Amino acid sequence: MDRERLIDLMGEIIPDEKRILTDQADLYSYSYDASFGFFVPDIVVQPKATEEVAKVMKLANQFEIPVYPRGQGTSLSGGPLPVKGGIVLDLSRWDQNLEIDSEDMVAIVSPGVITGNINAKAMEKGLIYPPDPSSSNIATIGGNLAENAGGPRGLKYGVTKDYVIGLEVVTPEGEIIRTGGRTVKNVTGYDLTKLIVGSEGTLGVITEAILRLYPKPASTQTLMALFDDLVDSGRAISKVLNSGILPAKMEIMDQASIQAVEAYRPLGLPTDVEALILIELDGHPMAIADEMLKVQEVCKEVGVREVKVAATSEEAEKLWRARKLVSPAIVRVKPTKISEDATVPRSKIPAMFQRLKEIKDKYNLDLVVFGHAGDGNLHPNIIADKRNQEEMKRVEMAVEEIFTAAIELGGTLSGEHGIGTMKAPFMEMELGEVGLDMMKRIKQSWDPKNILNPGKIFPEIGQRLVLTDE
Amino acid sequence: MITEEIKKRMIAIIGPENYDDSKVGRLCYSYDATPDLQALPDAVVSPRNTEEVSELVKICNEHKIPIVPRGTGTNLCGGTCPTEGGIVFLFKHMNQILELDLDNLTMTVQPGVITLDVIKKAEANGLFYPPDPGSMKSSTIGGNISENSGGLRGLKYGVTRDYVMGLEIVMANGDIIRTGGKLAKDVAGYDLTRLYVGAEGTLGIITEAILKLVPIPETKKTILALYEDLEAAARTVSKIIANKIIPATLEFLDQPTIAAVEDYVKIGLPTEAKAVLLIEQDGSPEQVEKDMAKIADICKSEQAVSVQMAKTVEEAEALTTARRTALSAIARIKPTTILEDATVPRSEIARMVKAINEIAEKYNLPICTFGHSGDGNLHPTVPTDARNKEEMERVEQAFEEIFIKAIELGGTITGEHGVGVVKAPYLELKLGAAGIEAMKAIKNGLDPNNIMNPGKVFAKDSRKRVVVGQ
Ligand SMILES: Cc1cc2nc3c(=O)[nH]c(=O)nc-3n(C[C@H](O)[C@H](O)[C@H](O)COP(=O)(O)OP(=O)(O)OC[C@H]3O[C@@H](n4cnc5c(N)ncnc54)[C@H](O)[C@@H]3O)c2cc1C
Ligand SMILES: Cc1cc2nc3c(=O)[nH]c(=O)nc-3n(C[C@H](O)[C@H](O)[C@H](O)COP(=O)(O)OP(=O)(O)OC[C@H]3O[C@@H](n4cnc5c(N)ncnc54)[C@H](O)[C@@H]3O)c2cc1C
Repeated sequence: MDRERLIDLMGEIIPDEKRILTDQADLYSYSYDASFGFFVPDIVVQPKATEEVAKVMKLANQFEIPVYPRGQGTSLSGGPLPVKGGIVLDLSRWDQNLEIDSEDMVAIVSPGVITGNINAKAMEKGLIYPPDPSSSNIATIGGNLAENAGGPRGLKYGVTKDYVIGLEVVTPEGEIIRTGGRTVKNVTGYDLTKLIVGSEGTLGVITEAILRLYPKPASTQTLMALFDDLVDSGRAISKVLNSGILPAKMEIMDQASIQAVEAYRPLGLPTDVEALILIELDGHPMAIADEMLKVQEVCKEVGVREVKVAATSEEAEKLWRARKLVSPAIVRVKPTKISEDATVPRSKIPAMFQRLKEIKDKYNLDLVVFGHAGDGNLHPNIIADKRNQEEMKRVEMAVEEIFTAAIELGGTLSGEHGIGTMKAPFMEMELGEVGLDMMKRIKQSWDPKNILNPGKIFPEIGQRLVLTDE
Repeated sequence: MITEEIKKRMIAIIGPENYDDSKVGRLCYSYDATPDLQALPDAVVSPRNTEEVSELVKICNEHKIPIVPRGTGTNLCGGTCPTEGGIVFLFKHMNQILELDLDNLTMTVQPGVITLDVIKKAEANGLFYPPDPGSMKSSTIGGNISENSGGLRGLKYGVTRDYVMGLEIVMANGDIIRTGGKLAKDVAGYDLTRLYVGAEGTLGIITEAILKLVPIPETKKTILALYEDLEAAARTVSKIIANKIIPATLEFLDQPTIAAVEDYVKIGLPTEAKAVLLIEQDGSPEQVEKDMAKIADICKSEQAVSVQMAKTVEEAEALTTARRTALSAIARIKPTTILEDATVPRSEIARMVKAINEIAEKYNLPICTFGHSGDGNLHPTVPTDARNKEEMERVEQAFEEIFIKAIELGGTITGEHGVGVVKAPYLELKLGAAGIEAMKAIKNGLDPNNIMNPGKVFAKDSRKRVVVGQ
């Protein structure tokens, strides 16, 4: 259909013309996300009501125009990219509703609400919303739900999926459905809530969510352990977790990331250690004091170089600063960052570190590793320069080998960032033909015309990872 | 219809000893724990491994023969009643614990393993498998997963769904797939694991499961609080949660239930109290101490007439065991026991209890109410006699009113027992037509011949039928 007519029809659905964007400049700002690729949509609309979304989907179905839901575009896997042109549904403006019900311990939110604001508002009532992706101050809850985002607190508290008990969703064909509800328990029919969470905007547009909240822990404590040997740090992680302690956070940084941080903002960290682990415990003050001692003992048993325990919350914050600086620090080395999030079973963390080291040497790349060690979700990041095509070729090969290594160790391509366009070519390697086919059948049954976020999750024939401009 | 030729092919796969089409054998599997529902299967098969399951399913798919997977038939929704004939699949040979992985805190099991065996095996190794349905001594993991069963510890620890990390599934066409794995985080594609949890055997057969274990809590304390007023007990529940305490167990029993239980177990329960709350907290000794003191205060401030703390582990154990026998105890009163599973948001518990009592009076029925009050999941139960058609009509009307009330209060028609045959006609009440269509689309996509447990979850028509067979 021609664009003018599409704009006219859209005008009948969205009453406020400011919420329909057609300018080249506007369209360009919706053509990328935080990963790779550049695709300009035909039109961008900013719905603020479920009915509007339903009508857009019906229109899109009638004329077979692709639709791409979008939050704040911080996806690291190409999730919101309009790869086949068409309509971008910008849901980030729809952030009006953020209700905390402390009696039922739930939050009810519209899709564009910034995740960090949910936790902040819950805290006012002595509650927390635990999922804390590092992007929580910029990303939307809709994007978190669609990607099933995780964060450091995932180890103890789980990921976004564990906190969603109900959704309002517009299906690809424009029907409005409600899944789950305000009850913690619900087995009425299939669990569509969990199916839609993590479906990357390919099965429906989320227009409202009911989230579980949790009481705020009485106190927290932080510890940093420095290791001369990377493999020892892996053993420390396994041992702590096997000793019956479940830390709220357990993060690891390898030597390269420590060095990058020290070069960027010196914090006085020793740059000759091979790894450091940051651990946060939460709970009753006396219980965590006990656990703190136990953690220190375990670290000593495996041969830690030094353990630092934060005496005050300021000191704790200082220790965590190292971890927070990793992302900005590493991009100073070279401009292009390729973030992976291959995840392995906990027991395979030391083996995965070994494989990453080999891959780094083999392809001679700047590869740093940090991440959520406790749950096996490491973030191997390769730092490169997009303009150097030869280097990018090596990156492509290294990334493929990282995926292979993760799957061989019983792991997955993605622990929290999603498949999107970037990892679609590797899906069959993980799921097998039959597994992938099954997911496709679900997609087809809901979206027979394949108009909702096409080109994501499922690989096109012959599709492979491309980071270079060919 | 099963022809001689089909029978021969099946016997060639599993051996004659594992194929039973005798009248007696078929009769044994013509009913489950659901009252007043019976239908004969054409045959009963007991495959010995996944490959055999797959081969059998392929034959069924080819000839469009219904398949009814069956654990131990303790479900309460008619889920294993072969209402359309066909073949019942038993997992008596597939009942092994395959692996206990102490590094990743997982247990890999076959579907026929008894729930209590999983719990015991975990405990013997200092670990904890929390889901504990009242039927855990006889129910299987395959059944628990397919019903997404809850239990007494659901409030704090969640339900079966929260402990299933990966599955091996034989799909309706006989293909074998694996979903998830020993990973704390996994967002590669749709969450098929969660889709199969609670699917009631309508999407495929579960042949293996990876379960998540957690460290066992250090200590546990139990309180029994007695009330003269039902609603005061219900208010206590809301107040405990509003005080940001999440007990491991928070069970409600009304007077008729307590009387029935005491008559059965004879441990000196207070049969004169109008309502009883059984409250358990676990965790570190300091935390448990603090929470229990606070809980006792709240009970007293809500006019509990007595608050007693169990003095010994044995005493505590006896109390929880007594609670677990509630259903069996009530079932001794009259030949037919009709039990419901309505669930409301926590804040509505008091209102729901009141409504159930009014409905009981209106229809002149002795309703015993007990349940997992902490998560809003109540079990109003009527001891009755299926031969008394007049009374059964009243039971039916009363339950219909209870369902409607639950939904009015923002709840659902089933919190943990599932839809099966019994609640299928009511699904639309909760999900709406579009919601049902969305679920049916998935069913059609994955089981186009509708051979997997047909007639369950989705009603043939929306004729309302709660308990009376016609
Ligand atoms: C600096 C940085 C740090 C990060 N840290 C983490 C981290 O710790 N953990 C983590 O998991 N991720 C992390 N991410 C990735 C990213 O922030 C998350 O994936 C986030 O959930 C995306 O939210 P968004 O609002 O930006 O969504 P977008 O990027 O706009 O969209 C993401 C996907 O969701 C879909 N979508 C968006 N809204 C809806 C809706 N309402 N209905 C249906 N589909 C919708 C889109 O189609 C797309 O597929 C990080 C990213 C950055 C840039
Ligand atoms: C006294 C009593 C107390 C109970 N207490 C509780 C309670 O506290 N909480 C609770 O939630 N429930 C409770 N129940 C209900 C029931 O025990 C549970 O639903 C239980 O999970 C059923 O397990 P089962 O092995 O008997 O499965 P079955 O009843 O045999 O089957 C249940 C469903 O699972 C399917 N199924 C079984 N195995 C497989 C497989 N391998 N693959 C695919 N599908 C399969 C069946 O087709 C059926 O739809 C109770 C029941 C009784 C009788």
